[in-house]
Amino acid sequence: MIKISNHTHAALSDQQPQKNLLHVLGKTMTDRNEAVSDVPNWEELREYARQVKSHTLSRLNYYLEELENKVQEKGAKVIWAETPQQAIEFILDLAHQKKMNRVIKSKSMLTEEIHLNQSLERFGIDPIETDLGEYIVQLAGETPSHLIAPALHKSRGEIASLFVEKVGMSATDDVVEITATARRILRDHFLTAQIGITGVNFAVSETGTIVVVENEGNIRLTASVPEIHVAMMGIEKVIPRQSDLSVFLKLLTRSATGQKITSYINCLTGACRNGEMDGPREFYLVLIDNGRTRILRDDYLRQTLACIRCGACQNVCPVYQRLGGHAYGSTYQGPIGAILTPQLGSVDKAPEHSFASSLCGACYEVCPVKIEIPHILLKLRNKTQTQKNNKAAHLPIEKWAMQLWSWSMQSSYRYERLAACCRVMFKILAKREKLKSSIPLLKLWMEHRDLPIFPEQSFRDFYQSRKQEK
Amino acid sequence: MSRSSILGRIKGALAQAKVEDLPRTLPEFPEYNQRVDKFREELEKAGGIFLDGRQPDQCAGLLTRVMEEANATEMYWETEDMLDKHGVPFVLGKTKDASQASFLCSYHFRQEVKMPINIRAKQYQRSQLGRISISASSAQFGVAETGTIVHAVRSGVGRLLSVLPASHLVLLSERDILMNGKELFDRLRLGEEGSALTLVTGPSRTADIEKTLVVGVHGPKKLFVMLTC
Repeated sequence: MIKISNHTHAALSDQQPQKNLLHVLGKTMTDRNEAVSDVPNWEELREYARQVKSHTLSRLNYYLEELENKVQEKGAKVIWAETPQQAIEFILDLAHQKKMNRVIKSKSMLTEEIHLNQSLERFGIDPIETDLGEYIVQLAGETPSHLIAPALHKSRGEIASLFVEKVGMSATDDVVEITATARRILRDHFLTAQIGITGVNFAVSETGTIVVVENEGNIRLTASVPEIHVAMMGIEKVIPRQSDLSVFLKLLTRSATGQKITSYINCLTGACRNGEMDGPREFYLVLIDNGRTRILRDDYLRQTLACIRCGACQNVCPVYQRLGGHAYGSTYQGPIGAILTPQLGSVDKAPEHSFASSLCGACYEVCPVKIEIPHILLKLRNKTQTQKNNKAAHLPIEKWAMQLWSWSMQSSYRYERLAACCRVMFKILAKREKLKSSIPLLKLWMEHRDLPIFPEQSFRDFYQSRKQEK
Repeated sequence: MSRSSILGRIKGALAQAKVEDLPRTLPEFPEYNQRVDKFREELEKAGGIFLDGRQPDQCAGLLTRVMEEANATEMYWETEDMLDKHGVPFVLGKTKDASQASFLCSYHFRQEVKMPINIRAKQYQRSQLGRISISASSAQFGVAETGTIVHAVRSGVGRLLSVLPASHLVLLSERDILMNGKELFDRLRLGEEGSALTLVTGPSRTADIEKTLVVGVHGPKKLFVMLTC
């Protein structure tokens, strides 16, 4: 079971990382807002993309079969994997069969989701991450903390010392120097790699093309130098037509980094063909389910799978902005993580995720495909609370508290008296730390909440006294 | 096994699903009368370097400048007929000595003009690629809206020559500049001509460390686009 509450104290107690995070996310949002205000029909684009995704997801079997046919027509192979194990076994078998062990990877959230690297490492294959952020996270033995910027939680100083320690860079915190070091080291890995693994942003079913979006050029290299290219995608990534790409690319890059377009957009259709100068000789497309077919069932919740992983919802989320990604304890973090994690697994494995939100709605406002995250969160909260094995839902005290609340709200006299009681009680509690931990129920409540400090005077008293003064 | 099981589960899950229609018409995309100006503006915003080679007699000077800025002594062309295709008034000539080195010579005036450049159109080896300072390729299209060039892999063209070197020069014909992404996907069919199509906008970049922009992380640090007529 993943519990966010186990990490909140640690995440909130340190002020500096929070400030850094707010600064960086703020910058990204400013860029995003500028890029979006540049598009007069942004809402029309969002609605178009939403409709395309909604249609495709409700006809997913059709489009997946079309994609498979087209990919096979180009001489490439399609592999279906229901579970992470099946996907990993395929890669291990392939490596074994070809006697290859030098694997390079570009950034892919799906491979994080199925813990590909850890599994391959157990069998003696060390995949090298080639996206700079992912490379940093891999060197540090950590996991990504943001969909787009995996090493967002690390300062340049931390990254510099990591490079000094792990790859023998001479001490500097110059970002250009750090980047040049990574380029040099990774270039050697590129030129000797045998298998390249990439993710997929979009798979166009009518042409059998996978589209992978990037800025660094590492995907271009990962999909070109090695003899074998393996692209791994969740089954929800398919879109029907290449013309849809013009809309999705515009939405994705502006939402993710505030760029009108990224440096490179790779449209790859199969392995290299006769007469082409280079490129992989074999291309495999791995389609992974891992819980996605379950999400398809519900007409409303299905939209969760429309996500194009731009990270905009994370950037605007007041909870993510303060906690950072790692506190979520799951591969997908922030608002999208809060709705995806419980659905990919089951709600009782991530019972707190749907509660890690203030329901402010900012995530929906920025979502390029209009996923109604706040409403989905409410649905999932409801599911969590109605699960029979959830003890919290059956605590009578909560019911009593609510009854007391509704009774007091029925008359202003009762309300005032109750508020006065609270003021006295909280004042006593604030002075005596011990009391808080000795009352069992209060202890439970206080574990993850700060005690609100009540003002000395109620608003009504304040108002009355002002009136009299005048 | 997994195939039928996944498809079966999808069919089961979607048996009662409400199906929304696929939208038929794309939203509007911005249109430009001055495509070259818009292309140039966007390319430069993305950190690319624009060169106007529409006057044939300007090309020699521009190519010299590119070689200097790339700090290179030789330039690798993607295909041998590139200069011809773009109407650049030079062909590859061979020096009289046996060094096999080629140089640019004037096509226009039918006389050899020695350039301080050594250009090779030889088929490259993978091991050499890492050491090349600059390569040149020909764009299939340009997109004005974003300052993008479209690199298409096809017979005789590969994926690596345009991404491994530290600098890259792209020749783009003025008539191939399209207005926007919508027009682009109207004009081409993915996967028909070759296995890879890359939309390239500016140099390789990263902002993975504290959101600080650094160019040239894995791909070219400098991207030159020379417009030809």
